[in-house]
Amino acid sequence: MGERTATVAAEVGLHARPAATFVQTAMKAPMDITVARSTGGDPVNGKSILQIMALDVRKGEQIVIRAEGEGSEEILDALATIASTP
Amino acid sequence: MTTVLAPVEGAAVGLAAVPDPVFSAGMVGPGTAIDPCRGPGQAVAPITGKIVKLHPHAYVIVGDDGRGVLVHLGIDTVQLRGRGFRLLATEGDRVNAGQPVVAWDPAEIEAGGRSPVCPVVALDALDGAVTPLAEGAVRAGDALFRWT
Repeated sequence: MGERTATVAAEVGLHARPAATFVQTAMKAPMDITVARSTGGDPVNGKSILQIMALDVRKGEQIVIRAEGEGSEEILDALATIASTP
Repeated sequence: MTTVLAPVEGAAVGLAAVPDPVFSAGMVGPGTAIDPCRGPGQAVAPITGKIVKLHPHAYVIVGDDGRGVLVHLGIDTVQLRGRGFRLLATEGDRVNAGQPVVAWDPAEIEAGGRSPVCPVVALDALDGAVTPLAEGAVRAGDALFRWT
């Protein structure tokens, strides 16, 4: 299981544009993508804008993104970059 | 099928009219937008369900079928950090469609240099799943679009 930890850098947190960009990228992946707070809690579906918005990650908080399978490393890199872009 | 109600009084203008590409390009999801009447008003729940996320400037309500609807009160209004908005409900509350959630004044938002236009978005909906039920003038609580 591949994973990346990213610190959310956008002023608005993982909402609006960052959330939409994140989910649109995750949707292109053939495998499941999960997102959880680094402090714990249930992981949510990284392809669901509803679940990402409800996770309510604020600026400065860390998330753990997980994916498995062929191409998952590239997808994880792309998603971590989106999450950590101001 | 879900009938989504207009959260505010105004004119249904479509997402393409929203001055923010995140919404106008449908990145958040399909739906429509309302150019609200200027003056003090209340934004209501577009569907019956649980308020899973309540910010002063935006809220998400999830119905019993798991479908979520986002109401965003104005554009770039997160920057106001709650100024000009008054919460009439609490996150986690169960609300009926049409029940007031946030009090605000679109005129005040506009006077501050921001667009008060309100995107109403069907979250995780497929393209083509949304059919408009209103065009032009709507009152809060009128049927706005059908989500199949």
